[in-house]
Amino acid sequence: MTPGSPADPPSRVDGAILRRTGLLVAGAVFVLWAVASLTFFAIRLIPGDPAQAILGGPGSQASQEALDQVRRDYGLDQPLLVQYLAMLGRLITGDLGTSYALKVPVAELLGAQLGATLLLATLALALAWLLALGLAIWSTGRGRVASALGEGIEITAAALPHFWLAAVLIAVFSTALGWLPPVATGTPSGLVLPVVTLAVPLAGFLAQVMRESLLDTMQQPFVVSARARGESALGVRLRHTIRHAALPAISLSGWALGWLLSGAVVVETIFAMPGLGRTLLQAVTLRDIPVVTGVVLLVALVYVLMTVLTDVVSRVADPRLRQEGAR
Amino acid sequence: MPAAPVTSSPNLRRLGIAAVAVVSTIALAACQAPAPEASGEPVSGGTLVYASGDAEPTCLDPHVGGNYPQALLAGQFLESLVSRDETGEIIPWLAESWTASDDGLSWEFTLRDDVAFTDGTPLDAEAVKVNVEHLKDPATQSSTGYLALGKVDHVEVVDDLVARFVMSAPDSALLESLTQPWNAIQSPAGIARGMDENCQAPIGTGPFIVDEWVKQDHVSLVRNDDYTSPPADAAHEGPAYLEAIDWRFVPDSASRYAALQAGQVDVIDNPQPDTISAAKSNDALVWLDAPRPGAANRIELNSGQAPFDDERVREAFIRAVEVDEGIDTLFFGTAERSYSPLSSVESVAYSDEKLFAPDLDRANELLDEAGWSERDADGYRVRDGARLTLRFPVSTNQSIPAEQSLFEQVQATAKAAGFEVVIELLDLSGWYGALAAHEYEIVSAPYTKVGPDVLRILYHSDSITPAPSGYFANLSQLNDPGVDALLAEAASTSDPEARAASYNEAQRLILGGYYLLPLYDQQNSFLMSTSVQGARALPTVSTPTFYDSWLAG
Amino acid sequence: MSELELRQTTVEASASHAVIRRRGRMPRAGTLVSGAFVLFLVAATVAPALIATQDPNQIAPGDAFSAPSTAHWFGTDESGRDIYSRVVAGTGTSLLIGVTATAIGLALGLVLGVLASFGGRIADFGVSRLVEVLFAFPGLLLALLVIVVYGPGPVTATIAVGLSTAPGYARIIRGQLVSIRSSQYVEAARVLGRTPGRILGRHVLPNALIPLFVLATLGIGQAIVWASALSYLGLGAQPPAAEWGAMLAAGRTYLATAWWMTVFPGLMIVGTTIATTVLGRAMTRRGRSGR
Repeated sequence: MTPGSPADPPSRVDGAILRRTGLLVAGAVFVLWAVASLTFFAIRLIPGDPAQAILGGPGSQASQEALDQVRRDYGLDQPLLVQYLAMLGRLITGDLGTSYALKVPVAELLGAQLGATLLLATLALALAWLLALGLAIWSTGRGRVASALGEGIEITAAALPHFWLAAVLIAVFSTALGWLPPVATGTPSGLVLPVVTLAVPLAGFLAQVMRESLLDTMQQPFVVSARARGESALGVRLRHTIRHAALPAISLSGWALGWLLSGAVVVETIFAMPGLGRTLLQAVTLRDIPVVTGVVLLVALVYVLMTVLTDVVSRVADPRLRQEGAR
Repeated sequence: MPAAPVTSSPNLRRLGIAAVAVVSTIALAACQAPAPEASGEPVSGGTLVYASGDAEPTCLDPHVGGNYPQALLAGQFLESLVSRDETGEIIPWLAESWTASDDGLSWEFTLRDDVAFTDGTPLDAEAVKVNVEHLKDPATQSSTGYLALGKVDHVEVVDDLVARFVMSAPDSALLESLTQPWNAIQSPAGIARGMDENCQAPIGTGPFIVDEWVKQDHVSLVRNDDYTSPPADAAHEGPAYLEAIDWRFVPDSASRYAALQAGQVDVIDNPQPDTISAAKSNDALVWLDAPRPGAANRIELNSGQAPFDDERVREAFIRAVEVDEGIDTLFFGTAERSYSPLSSVESVAYSDEKLFAPDLDRANELLDEAGWSERDADGYRVRDGARLTLRFPVSTNQSIPAEQSLFEQVQATAKAAGFEVVIELLDLSGWYGALAAHEYEIVSAPYTKVGPDVLRILYHSDSITPAPSGYFANLSQLNDPGVDALLAEAASTSDPEARAASYNEAQRLILGGYYLLPLYDQQNSFLMSTSVQGARALPTVSTPTFYDSWLAG
Repeated sequence: MSELELRQTTVEASASHAVIRRRGRMPRAGTLVSGAFVLFLVAATVAPALIATQDPNQIAPGDAFSAPSTAHWFGTDESGRDIYSRVVAGTGTSLLIGVTATAIGLALGLVLGVLASFGGRIADFGVSRLVEVLFAFPGLLLALLVIVVYGPGPVTATIAVGLSTAPGYARIIRGQLVSIRSSQYVEAARVLGRTPGRILGRHVLPNALIPLFVLATLGIGQAIVWASALSYLGLGAQPPAAEWGAMLAAGRTYLATAWWMTVFPGLMIVGTTIATTVLGRAMTRRGRSGR
């Protein structure tokens, strides 16, 4: 769904928008169905008995009767296809099932965690954007030294593992300087280190992309003419080029959010924050299938929504894309 | 740096009551840092922040399943019939007295008459009966608590305050078992709510009440203002001094320690050994060292299959491996080498150091004798074309990094004798799976239980038979009728000396057969800020109790 | 896990007008240093014993936590093992993880990309949706699933990382192929009556391969970084393997007391990423000016 993909057929603008929206919705539903199905069948490959995960998890000493009872209650004695259809049926009604380990509805459990993770990811995305933009603007078109330095910073930032960066930040800002709390307890100051940990490597990536498109844009005729009209270099950068330079990065925000959710598994563990990542890790350890499925679906849903959103935003930000069919 | 939260509220004045009477400084077991004298009188009020590195429980009711993380929390809001003091004597708690019949088949417990659960239900014999039935009901999915009550047939209500335990066989470990948090007494009304609800907030008689459990984050505990039932060795009576405990889950050990240093939390558990060592030279921190009872941390050798079905190969492994220096450096002097299957907490622990003296020549000799006389290109021994390989599943949830490093050293030293040790880092489910499938030659599995009866669980041949889940506790698969007989004798005798003698002899046989390599006590350390006064570990399963604690300014 | 998609934009952008401004932007010295570093990596992979000063798995608990010195250039770890020798010994494993994961991702991406751009509209729609689905699984989640099913270890970690990079590659390759397919020389070949197979093999793939190679060099460092995240969660390379990510994860515990345990493996990862990236970009320039 990359905007501007050449596969999109040319047509009148209104029709194209309608068609496109239809396709997006259909695509979204398809993605959710496929993700649910893939997860369902992939999880059956996991060694171990779900009935046991329900009865106290690993190392439990559940009796045979109890195991049989649970298999009947949860329909685990049914053929796979029946179980699959039952799951789809439940999903359509919005029922994500009950956690094996925690015995609470999955929707309730994840609902409580989703907000925290989204807040973390959104803030990190915003910060990554700011850092990347700053770095790209600062280091582009300033000669070889600035450019090489900028690239070096970008590549290094992008190569930093989260868990290591987090440890260094805690050592410096919590232990040595005492400025920020090392464990996030819901206060705004507690969010600073986790957000920075997530944002820095991402900023490294985004800056690379932005610099490239910034360079491209700066050679465009309208920029050249603006310069010829006597606008200052910085003025041109801020007024004309950023919007265009940001485009490829906007279209990547959906992807970046997924990337951030991966990072959240590690970051939430280190900073002891509630959230989807930590929930997922625990659910995987306990083979808590409904929770794993729930997290996967939720993340897929966020991704799908984000894809649609970035598509719309790109169109607003760049008039050219609104009539791309005619290009 | 934010100071430990202390509310200077009217509570300071409300202190009144009997509380002031008893202000003995509670000695922290093996307190290393020069603990400042308890600064004057206990201060009421304030919230203590506890950061736990143990896994977040999936259910707060310790009857369900029954692991250590549950015990840590349950100790704050549930109480047992009896407790144990520092000398190992059983002391009154919810039961003020008890008697056993001469044949050991009937025990009568007389309950205190002034105790009520925090939902208002009075504590009575019926409640005890309901709790035992709850533990024995398969639907409860109890493991630890259920096993501990294996010989209790049922409970009869004699009168309001007297409950009679009717035994299917005499059990010398009954009192010890009943001290455990996994056998704690809960409100019958709470249990009646069903598992789902009871798991969220069990109702007990303890000094604190579960107020709220925010998953993946924390459990809020608030003071029980009507509290009346401290164990006999507590330092004061009446409600706790602390107004609340904020029990947080902080899985990363470095973050936990950083939070303690920054004053963000008051107490942490499971500190890394290097941070304990650093804390020793930090005046603001105190180390509470409370090894767990039951078994020592040890490496079990699976004698149920080749190559360890041959005693010579077992001895060769134990003689080949060197751990002493590693324990010193990896644990920074905080862990002492053990030579016993039992924790040093247990008075009947029997040690035999000379069985474990490293001797590479002897190891090589034994292996040659056992037919493992050739070596392949990598230096590993082979017999009939098969390599001398030892699979070693390691649970990343149960072994701290220092212990995992120690296992790497075991791997490196065993190689000199020609053993190929294959370490497999697994998560908890994968680890239990490997054990259930007998895909291991060596394994380290902690087991916590009050009293030496843990030997029966770990080394009686009955424990080789797996539960339907595949779980079994006798991981060395020791199958010796002599050991079985001694353990049965010890469990049924009512004479403490005869009991100790049987346990001693059983341990001698177990060690002498080279079924295990003891390492050290199950490490159980807590670091706390010096502002936390009066905290101690309960001498039952060494969980910390904050009933007598207060936060000094 | 696919920073690759980001790179797509990078590569595409460079493809349009990079030649002029690119000249001399990256200092030549950078390319040379990067080349030397990669040579060192290759040597460490092929003959670690020649470069290492000690047996990487030789423990010496008495020497644990020694700071860098002439005896131990990079210091020692918690078991007294020589970190320099372990870094050298780990090169092979780490690069293998990086290269194999990238190769898996690339191969899968190539198959999907070719299907999408040459299989007609239905295949294109199907593959594009499939790629969407794979994208909807965050990389680490996919990796966790693979590991839970097949058990932890370097092989599963590699496959997991490879699988999660595949959709990124598939998108890029599809984009490349589509633009090449509609280019003039392909049109010309079609007019001349060449078979589709021949067009694909003779004209399309060769032109798509150079950018792919560049992408691959960029992916290696990232694959190592992600594998190290799995090691942090205890699901990566198994001990005593001296894999960089595993060393980094193990050293984190002792960050305050023994900085050298994390700094040196970390520098290797960052160095490898930078060196392959710099070389990759240098090759883009060459490849383009040769066309």
